[in-house]
Amino acid sequence: MSKNKIKSINITGIRGVREELTLSPDKKSILIYGDNGTGKSSITDALEWFYNDSIEHLTGEEVGGKGKNALRNVFLNSSDEAKIEIKYSNSQLDNEKSITSLLKTFNSNSSKEFAEYFGQSQSENLILRYRDLVQFIIATKGDKLKHLQNIIGFSQVQELRSLLKLVGGRIARGIKAGGYSNKRSAQQAILLESLGQNITSSKQFFETVLKVIEPLKLGKEIKSFKDVKTALKSIETNEETKIVEQIAFHNKVADTLTSLETEISNIHNQYKDYYESYIALRKDADKINKLQLLALLSEGLKVLKKDIVKDNFCPLCQQEKDKLKLAQELNQRVDDLREIKAEQDKLNEECEELTKALRNNYTIVSSLLKEKHLSEKENEETKKKIEKIQNSIKEIGEDLKKDVFSSEPLKEFSNIKIDDKEIKEVIDIAKAKSKTLSDSIKGNLKLQIHTKLSRALDAYLAHKKLEREEEILTKQQVTFEALYSDFIKRQEEALQGFLTMFSDEINSYYVEMNPNEKVEDIKLVPIKDKNDELSGITIEYTFYSERQTPPVALLSESHINCLGLAFFLASVKAFNKENEFFVLDDVISSFDSTHRTRFIRLLVNKFNDYQIILLTHEKDFFDIVSSEAKRKNWLITSLSWTAEKGTSFETPLVDLRTKIEGKFKAKNIDGLGNDIRRYAERQLKQIAFNVEASVPFRYNDRNEERMMNELLSSVQGKVNKQSPTDLKTKNNIDSIMASPILIGNKTSHDNTFKENINDLEVFWEDVKKLILTFYCSEDKCKSFVAMKNFDNVNNKIRCNCGTMSYEWKK
Amino acid sequence: MTMNNKIKSGKDVIDDFFAEIYNILTADKKTVDALVELHGQGKLSDKNVQNTLDTIVQKELKEIDKEDE
Repeated sequence: MSKNKIKSINITGIRGVREELTLSPDKKSILIYGDNGTGKSSITDALEWFYNDSIEHLTGEEVGGKGKNALRNVFLNSSDEAKIEIKYSNSQLDNEKSITSLLKTFNSNSSKEFAEYFGQSQSENLILRYRDLVQFIIATKGDKLKHLQNIIGFSQVQELRSLLKLVGGRIARGIKAGGYSNKRSAQQAILLESLGQNITSSKQFFETVLKVIEPLKLGKEIKSFKDVKTALKSIETNEETKIVEQIAFHNKVADTLTSLETEISNIHNQYKDYYESYIALRKDADKINKLQLLALLSEGLKVLKKDIVKDNFCPLCQQEKDKLKLAQELNQRVDDLREIKAEQDKLNEECEELTKALRNNYTIVSSLLKEKHLSEKENEETKKKIEKIQNSIKEIGEDLKKDVFSSEPLKEFSNIKIDDKEIKEVIDIAKAKSKTLSDSIKGNLKLQIHTKLSRALDAYLAHKKLEREEEILTKQQVTFEALYSDFIKRQEEALQGFLTMFSDEINSYYVEMNPNEKVEDIKLVPIKDKNDELSGITIEYTFYSERQTPPVALLSESHINCLGLAFFLASVKAFNKENEFFVLDDVISSFDSTHRTRFIRLLVNKFNDYQIILLTHEKDFFDIVSSEAKRKNWLITSLSWTAEKGTSFETPLVDLRTKIEGKFKAKNIDGLGNDIRRYAERQLKQIAFNVEASVPFRYNDRNEERMMNELLSSVQGKVNKQSPTDLKTKNNIDSIMASPILIGNKTSHDNTFKENINDLEVFWEDVKKLILTFYCSEDKCKSFVAMKNFDNVNNKIRCNCGTMSYEWKK
Repeated sequence: MTMNNKIKSGKDVIDDFFAEIYNILTADKKTVDALVELHGQGKLSDKNVQNTLDTIVQKELKEIDKEDE
């Protein structure tokens, strides 16, 4: 199915548009001229809101609501709806989007097809404004990468890549923080103590258990854990229950704290590393200060990007400064700061891991403190010591909450370290008590073997589980590393392929606008950070045979804007899948006339299949584009603004004539004099242009504002001089100039003259007569007499077909 | 212009990766199965992946418990 074009846009009550503004390009390109303040950008704003539900340049704290607070025309009543209706080449997508005074928005088209179209369109390149032209060019390397990855749908790729790396890294850290080797050693120590040897396999464990129970002559085979448990069950006894419980309790204290001891050793090492990095970063005052500036600089960059500051000065220090260069400098500083920020992020990550390890051990100690035997008087000292260990863990956790900006630094390691001697002491006490109690039941072989065996069984099963857990986690880690490595290869190949093609497109558009200017071979080049991670994209180009980057360093503002345009146009071709139209709002402000002509030729030649809505406030450019665009069948129109109607299109002449005649028919003289004058002025401009009647010089943008008197005098002067015997006698300029309707613009000024329908009828007839004196209305011709048709042989000025001609001096 | 068709989209890169994921020799099948399933369900988030990996570990450890009984 072919891509979408716009048939019509209908805007009411949005920004500068008060009354209904209808644009009916009917899938054709359209050039719209409007002086500053006539509301061109209202059209762009309405379209941006239609597709994005926000207006970027109005988004900010002062306006709020993603720009919607400033969307409705200020003169609207609260009951009036502000709306934009777009009709497309595919009528099933036609939609009217409206916004109430409570800023609630509604879409008239609720079809699935429209929802899909709308979703896709939001990521397409549909609108380019002057202020957005250079955003990509001056963006940071990282932002360039992010932007391009977003528009080619690589944001998901980047997300998956980050996910694979994140999970892989987390598993690796989990294995390290899990201290599996230490934990297994602790269990082996218990096995050694209980069974007199280390155990490396289940088979060895069963054989050893068999030897341990041999003196009991149970006559049982031990070939499984079930057998071990059955043997234990068979020697279970109700004798000395309290002592058995106490032995188990002391063993638990000793075992838990033995395991904790190795964990604490890990925590100490982690803390030392973290403390070192923390102090190193904190000591570098310059880095810390810069880090604190990151938010300010990023905000400043946003301000510049939104074009809030119109002139070339720094919004902070108010000094004169080239905005483009300022933005570039800020980008560079933000980029540098992001590297420091990465250091801080790494530090935060270490802190997070350390906190997690502390939390786990705090939980283990808390759980140990719940042992009922700790409430007994004889264990009071042990309890206090365990509580002290718990508090030490908590204290480190609290201290870790201090970040690099905190007024007080982290405590030095020597001041915070958990007292491992104290842990050892508790372990020794617990072991000693366990031994004493065990000795007290030495005579009871069954009980003694039961105690040893059950402790050994728990230790071996825990050992086995730790071994298995580490094995599974290691498999997962290896898997994620392999997946990540495969994935980045795919991503980088695809990205490189895209960048090569996309760079060629940008280069071709740029060179077409700037031939023979020594800037060639523009390329988007991926860059990697010190960890070999894709970190950004830079723009390289050849300038006088030397490779250069970045563009801002050597290119002028106009050339950077050209590069921005080339980037947008390449993006339109590469990524717009649903829409075959785009809007360019005043994008050539910094171009000289040569670049403007090349730009418009690029548009009409390379983007002929696209519907372009081109808005400009520059009369020169409008004139250049008009002649090029007319040949390609573009529509051309102008905007005007009045307080009553807001933004509106200038009424086409044929419509104005119909309107005048309708008013005569209805005997409605309200504004009729003005309508006739406007009609006459526009026709007189054509007459003056064709007979080359000169008017006093005015600058471009004021040239259009010629009053009827001025034009009549000029045409009359020219005619009297060049055609004293012919056209001078045949025109009725004198009678028009004497009309009471014209003298002093009476119908539009506050004076005592009361116009009547008869005066207006006479005035209208005179105007029509004058036009017909200069205009050939033959179907085949329909042209004014013009100097371009001057007959050198007969000294006559003629219309195109020659039917109308007058004597004219050379 | 044919550029649009030549560019490998993000979706293409991801689809290709998952289509060939079992060819990565050092990858663990259970882990890959879990990722493929999450991708198929459109639930490939950090939280979901981590939960699934934790479940795999827990399931395997339960198997050990059963063996030990």
